[in-house]
Amino acid sequence: MDVHTRANWTLSPPAADASTEHAAEQPDLCLHEVSKKFGNVIALDKASLTLRKGSIHALLGENGAGKTTLMRIAFGLIRPDSGSIDVKGKRVDFASPAQAIASGIGMVHQQFSLVPEMTVAENVALGGRGRYDAKTTARRIEAISNRIGMQLDPFAKVKTLTSSQRQKLEIVRTFAHDASILILDEPTAVLTPRDIGDLFAQLRKFAAEGGSVILITHKLRDAIDNADDVTVLRRGKCVLASPMQLVDQGTLALAMLGSSTVTPPSAPRPATNLSRVVVKFDDVFFEDERRVARLENASLQVAAGEIVGVAALEGAASQMLGLMAGRLQPTSGTIKLPTAIGFVPEDRSEEAVIPAQTLIENTALANAGARSRMIDWHNVRTQTTHIIADFSVRASGPTAAMSELSGGNQQKFVLGRELKDHPALLVLENPTQGLDVHAANAIHEKIKAAANDGTAIVIYSSDLDELAALSDRVLVVSRGRIAAARPDKESIGSLLLETAD
Amino acid sequence: MSAVQAFLEGTIRTATPLAFAALGETVVERAGIINIGLEGAIIAGAMGGFTAAGAAGTWAGFAGAGIAGLFVAVVFAFFAIRLRADQIITGTAITLFFLGATATLYRQLYGVTGAALTSPTMPVTPIPLLSSIPVIGQPLFAQPAITYLLYVLIPCVWWCMYRTHFGLGLRASGESAKAAQAAGVPVSRIRFIAVLFGGLLGGIAGGVLVIAQAGSFAEGMSAGRGFIAIAVVVLGRWHPLGVVAAALVFAAASALQYLFQAMGWNIPYQTFLALPYVLTLLGLAGIAGKATAPAALGQWQS
Repeated sequence: MDVHTRANWTLSPPAADASTEHAAEQPDLCLHEVSKKFGNVIALDKASLTLRKGSIHALLGENGAGKTTLMRIAFGLIRPDSGSIDVKGKRVDFASPAQAIASGIGMVHQQFSLVPEMTVAENVALGGRGRYDAKTTARRIEAISNRIGMQLDPFAKVKTLTSSQRQKLEIVRTFAHDASILILDEPTAVLTPRDIGDLFAQLRKFAAEGGSVILITHKLRDAIDNADDVTVLRRGKCVLASPMQLVDQGTLALAMLGSSTVTPPSAPRPATNLSRVVVKFDDVFFEDERRVARLENASLQVAAGEIVGVAALEGAASQMLGLMAGRLQPTSGTIKLPTAIGFVPEDRSEEAVIPAQTLIENTALANAGARSRMIDWHNVRTQTTHIIADFSVRASGPTAAMSELSGGNQQKFVLGRELKDHPALLVLENPTQGLDVHAANAIHEKIKAAANDGTAIVIYSSDLDELAALSDRVLVVSRGRIAAARPDKESIGSLLLETAD
Repeated sequence: MSAVQAFLEGTIRTATPLAFAALGETVVERAGIINIGLEGAIIAGAMGGFTAAGAAGTWAGFAGAGIAGLFVAVVFAFFAIRLRADQIITGTAITLFFLGATATLYRQLYGVTGAALTSPTMPVTPIPLLSSIPVIGQPLFAQPAITYLLYVLIPCVWWCMYRTHFGLGLRASGESAKAAQAAGVPVSRIRFIAVLFGGLLGGIAGGVLVIAQAGSFAEGMSAGRGFIAIAVVVLGRWHPLGVVAAALVFAAASALQYLFQAMGWNIPYQTFLALPYVLTLLGLAGIAGKATAPAALGQWQS
């Protein structure tokens, strides 16, 4: 299929254009083969991005694809391990955001960038020099607010603002700093449609006046309607870079979700006997704490030995997985679950392990909430040794600290721990995210082996190739509805796009 | 001098070293650092002030006190900011170390005879006109010149904290270091400067004890003032003017004993000795309203 080959393009349009149309034009920002590891997790793997002067550039990718990391590097918040950055043709090596701001880069962050105890004016003035005069700053804020149509009270404390007002403040602040290169990280997530319209109109004007904009987003529609160029990251790699007019929504979606890193399945799995139902949802309804329906009239069954893939855009399936793992209770409807459930959460270091503790202690953590009394440490040590051997975890021994292990070995260990008591059901969220191909394959083999042993497997992945390679069947969750898809990339992808906005 | 005037004079005199130390610690804490080593800076300042004043006079003494305080601050900053060691542990170690080191040094330099060595003291310099104001004139404006330096310093610290971009960055570093850094504030540099300033004022506070008050050095003469100053910062809600007011409240509690004795009240003097510490506890317990510390106080990742 044509779309597939396109998804693997890696061309950089500005460089190509430079020889013809914009012969003398330097790109405003050029990130070249930037790599970054956090501990054992590869966040960026030789990612590149070229931002043309006067353009709006969409940076797309799934959660954890490395979009924000790449932009935080461009803004001087994170030092890259390797790679180079040029701003307006000049090589730079930012030690801090202050230097990036001085080079004309402004960034609107998703979080952590406002001081709640301070006023709007004080937050705008932050990072400046010399005397601070609240009235002068307030006048400047009012001028910018009027120009871009985002009203703010300069003397209100930030902690009293709504999230939409905070977002506006972030945007006003970058304009106040006279940035010529704007980086916006998911700027529309909390804005009303009218504000979003105003913002994009303003960004277009800003670009027409010679500025340039990088727009991090996961909303394909916003990107297609507003951007001139697009770069797609997947697992820290740049998988597509193109002028927007040359690509369509399907190409972008497959570039975001697909993957060429998964090897084909090693051996066909034996046919499973689907008679023994392990999980049963009957007309399940779930509302979140804001009383928004996240799952409606859901009825499904999972049988022992079955691998059921779950596909969804941007966390649309997280409630269903939470219900499946017994972590959430349905608002209405009935759910039948087995007593023994293994769970491999997406955020390994936050939810699955305690990095500073030993492997033995991490083993003891499994189901720790359900047990009491003394811990039989001798027994736990034996279990740990078995996990290390059975799942070929590379570790110096059971007393090694979890943090000494690579990401792949940590994940093998977590999988081993969750499977050690042969649970009737295993729920996994993006089990191979951030892992190299080798480690990912090892995880896949173990999942298949567990299914062959009779464990029902429910696996969510943002990687369609992974789902297609592993699953016996696939459920697509979108807007609270569950639809069934065949386990191949095209049918999952088209169903995802049909049901999404 | 009436009993009331004596009480007010005593209050100002007791408040001066406390206010110096607490003003410095306010700046430190607003930057998000808690320096428990303040007591160490005060005792080092007392020792430095005693030595320098004996050699070259009272102003040189204050310079020596300030430098000694700065030295303590550099040690603290190296461990707590550069190496990111735990601030409470580092500060405690520094206090204990300098209490011991000054005692040892004093014995080495001046012997263990116990004969009180004296240092020159700074004379009272009444300010013309102001010191003739009835009742408050004498207590406020017939003080050693170092007290007037404090009077000038208070509005300067306030102005710097609320009317300059440096002050804005300082407060942001204390509230949310990550946000400050993302906005281009050089958080580590600001924290370093704040800690040095706090050490300088802590040292001067120690100098005041020797040069403007006791006229001699004694082992452990800081007598917990560093810790009281930290409590004063809490009671003053981390605001320079509030902190100075709180220092006055603490000092007044100490000065009350002289007033009551002069008035012939038969209350055991130990009651008044205990009063500042009772106030400290009440202050920490939030009796003066719920105090909210800078959100990033003592942490790195926030």
